[in-house]
Amino acid sequence: MNFWTDPIHVIYQGLMQTFTGWGMAAEVAGILINLLGIVLMITAIMVLDIFLVWIERKVVARFQDRLGPNRVGPWGIFQPFPDIIKLVLKEDITPAGADKWVFNLAPILSLASVIFLWAVVPLASRIYGVDLNVALLYLVASGSIGTLSIIMAGWSSNNKYALVGAYRMVANMVSYEIPLAASLLIPTILSGSMSLTNIVNQQAHGVWFFFVSPLGALLFLVAAIAELGRSPFDLNEGESEIVAGFHIEYTGMKFGLFYAGELLHAFTFGGFVAALFFGGWHGPWAEEYPLLGAFYFVAKAMLGYWIIMWIKYTVPRIRIDHMLAFNWKFLTPLAFALLIVTALTHRFLMDFPTWVYVPGMFLSNVLVAWATLEILRGNARRERLAAEAH
Amino acid sequence: MTLELFLFFTLALIALVTAGGMVFSKSAVYAALNLVTNFLSVAILYLLLDAPFIALAQVTVYAGAIMVLFLFVIMLLGVETLRAEFDWKKIWLQAVLALALLVEGFVMLFQRMGQAANLPFNTASVLTNPSEMAKVLFTDYLLPFELTSILLLVAMIGAIVLTKQVKKRSL
Amino acid sequence: MNLNLLAILPEALLVLLAVAILILDPLFKADSRRVNLGWLAAGGLTLILLISFLAGQPAQNELTLGGMVRFDWFAFAFKMFFIFAAAITALLMMDVDALANRAEAYVLLLAATIGMNLMAASADLVMLYLAIETTSIPLYVLAGFLTDNDKSTEAGFKYLLFGAMTSAILLYGFSLLFGFAGTTNLAAMAVSLATPTVFSLGALLLVLVGFGFKTSIVPFHFWAPDVYEGASTPIAGFLSTASKAAGFAVLLRFSLTVFPQTGSQWQYTLAVISILTMTIGNLVALAQKNIKRMLAYSSIAHAGYALIGVVAASTLGTASAVFYMMAYILTNLAAFAIVTVAGRVIGSDDLRAYDGLSRRSPYLALAMLVAFLSLAGMPPFGGFVAKLLVFAAGVEKGWIGLVIAGIINSIIGVYYYLTTLKYVYLYRMEGEDEESYPIPVSRPYAIALTVLVAGVILLGTFFAPWYDLTVKAAASLF
Repeated sequence: MNFWTDPIHVIYQGLMQTFTGWGMAAEVAGILINLLGIVLMITAIMVLDIFLVWIERKVVARFQDRLGPNRVGPWGIFQPFPDIIKLVLKEDITPAGADKWVFNLAPILSLASVIFLWAVVPLASRIYGVDLNVALLYLVASGSIGTLSIIMAGWSSNNKYALVGAYRMVANMVSYEIPLAASLLIPTILSGSMSLTNIVNQQAHGVWFFFVSPLGALLFLVAAIAELGRSPFDLNEGESEIVAGFHIEYTGMKFGLFYAGELLHAFTFGGFVAALFFGGWHGPWAEEYPLLGAFYFVAKAMLGYWIIMWIKYTVPRIRIDHMLAFNWKFLTPLAFALLIVTALTHRFLMDFPTWVYVPGMFLSNVLVAWATLEILRGNARRERLAAEAH
Repeated sequence: MTLELFLFFTLALIALVTAGGMVFSKSAVYAALNLVTNFLSVAILYLLLDAPFIALAQVTVYAGAIMVLFLFVIMLLGVETLRAEFDWKKIWLQAVLALALLVEGFVMLFQRMGQAANLPFNTASVLTNPSEMAKVLFTDYLLPFELTSILLLVAMIGAIVLTKQVKKRSL
Repeated sequence: MNLNLLAILPEALLVLLAVAILILDPLFKADSRRVNLGWLAAGGLTLILLISFLAGQPAQNELTLGGMVRFDWFAFAFKMFFIFAAAITALLMMDVDALANRAEAYVLLLAATIGMNLMAASADLVMLYLAIETTSIPLYVLAGFLTDNDKSTEAGFKYLLFGAMTSAILLYGFSLLFGFAGTTNLAAMAVSLATPTVFSLGALLLVLVGFGFKTSIVPFHFWAPDVYEGASTPIAGFLSTASKAAGFAVLLRFSLTVFPQTGSQWQYTLAVISILTMTIGNLVALAQKNIKRMLAYSSIAHAGYALIGVVAASTLGTASAVFYMMAYILTNLAAFAIVTVAGRVIGSDDLRAYDGLSRRSPYLALAMLVAFLSLAGMPPFGGFVAKLLVFAAGVEKGWIGLVIAGIINSIIGVYYYLTTLKYVYLYRMEGEDEESYPIPVSRPYAIALTVLVAGVILLGTFFAPWYDLTVKAAASLF
């Protein structure tokens, strides 16, 4: 086993030998190496986050038919650094009457809830934090922690707009957790396990789940965007309405943490779309060379992130009552119907060869989508006739 | 002292301190946040006991849903402005009863320490593996499971019935 | 795993009926909705009662469905009572507009019935707690159903707060019991707790809090008068009969299965509670001027009488308690039905408003005579036989003091029942103009009252088949 086929193991052994060579006990060395690994992972993610700021600004610029940052470095690639320096140098204002502890804790918790997620994401066949057998539940759980941090931010700001923004955001996040969890159950059914590493392995040895359940992927994407609080579901920080929602009162680097957290959250969900539906690290020669697999994964995650950005910068904002009605009256029933159909079709077609299974599942998805569209058309027709009758 | 023991003591200390903080805190929001921290530390204790599903279910349901609901209601009702007062002379009877319950809890703990529970499934495998848990849930505990679904439906119907404003049609 | 689906036949049918009501509700036109829904619910419930009675009888006592449910005559008898009570309540709800126009009211009623059925049949702590919650939560909502009525909202809120708190204490007791016994199965718990210590009895006290709330015995009775007064009258009737009977079913099964020896300390505790309940219920009822509150306190007193049967932990004792519940359900539902009908026309729940009822509606007054005399324990009505059996059970096991207290309380109780009948028969309305203020009794009420009154008289005269049923039920617990 050399570095290229199993990098983590090689590094672990090397460091273990070094530390025990210095006279440390084996357990302590093990703990220390694990801590080092965690720090390394977090550093990598945060560096990626900095890169994401640049991507975001460039992409939004191109969507809006302008150039974006192009002064600092070639193509403006070092732009995030002046941004960070600016944020750090800004005055750190805590509003009078704000609850100091909670006020300062909220952005930390918000960013932490996103970084937690990277513990279970498999970057490659042999590079992952932990193989948790309930990783998808872990996803939902960390979303709940994010919800808490937003309520803390909104309440501790001692500001009505912040509180209203926080209520809306939390109502949004809590509501969309249901179709999110239901759509997470679809890869669970297809692969028979809730563990992300297992799901990706199954896709690596079989068919990418996107081809087996495209509607599930779409559902997950929509629920994820709503869960993120990004446009078109971003009434919570609708600038024209309640200024900046729950993070009005945050200045300087605290706001920077919220902003960076939001971008990282979007990228993480892009990564989840990639892992759950697009085969994760799967690609040519990804099994033997984990670093290549990691590259594939990041590329796919970037693709997912780009789709999320695409939707954000094209579609106008949705009103809060439409947002909630969309969830409870459309997305949740659709998610459950799709779940039932997927489970039934999967059970029937499970023993058939792949060339029957994949088209069969794909067809079932198309059928559900078609049925949904027909129902929507019928409803719209009925509404139109009723409006015309008056 | 192994890492596990050290983690256990730290988490147990956090759990106890935040539980006390929740009971004695004068602000409702602080009490709720203390309770959240308590739930989180208990969840990590479950993780130490090799029960990841229960740990994450605890975080999702308790800390993420129930406490968010608590905080919503506290903030919407403006209860956070109420300050709680503690008058030991008024609550001495409750304190005595609580102490009695605590003693009883300890007696039970020491009486059954080391004995396994006599349940119709193998606790160790069920707690670690969600598919084992699903098997038990859908065979031995099928009836409570289905009853829970009826209970959830009833709760939803009740919530809608009690809060929905029926528009009064003017004649 | 033993999977005898006949054990949950009534519950499965009830679920189907609830789903049918929910689905058919939008299809009914608004003006005929309450009639259609009401007959659908009542008819469906009667059908379920018949099917379950004919097809769902237990062959032998067995633990089934993963050890969660015990399919025996005790559970079967109580299930029949609950479904019957729900059918009568559905009939009574039909003419209360605020309730009958909403399908949700019927669905909640059915859900509560499902919970009660499973409460009576539970053989496992997990199942028992879930069943108790499934019973309580729809009843909380039903108690506060009339959202524009302050008293109803107050009733629902009080019920919810009390219920939630006692439920939490109950759960704490359950978890301590599980800790002491190491298992959640009731029968297996009896083996583990064969020598009850102070601590396991302490856990039992906590459990008693929860059960005491459901059966509204002293000192857990404070919610009953306010909730019965504020809730809509058919719902109050259902609460006071079926919910209380469910509590008694659980109390009986729990005390006889988990602590089967006679002479344990819990019997003395229950005896004291019984005396307190009877006394306080009767004494406070004497002072009441509102008929619903009077009936509430009389219900509390009746719980005390039934407790005598529970205290005498023998076959006769259990049979007498079950018979008492049967007679009590019939009688109390009749009383609340009369209050519903009369209350709608009279417009107030004041006792003096019932003056001259005998001239305004002779049949209603006759029904009231039957119901109240049965509540007082006079022959030839069901209440007399019930009290006789309960006192006999007490005497048989040597609880003479308890029986004497019961007799004295019965005598006190006769006073306020006869006072109401005095107002109905001997007094006259203001203006002495009863003929122009008749009280119409619509068809669902007529059917309900006829069935109930016939049942009360039947239980008092030809009570042998009913008594056999209760003896079979009691025997299945020993």
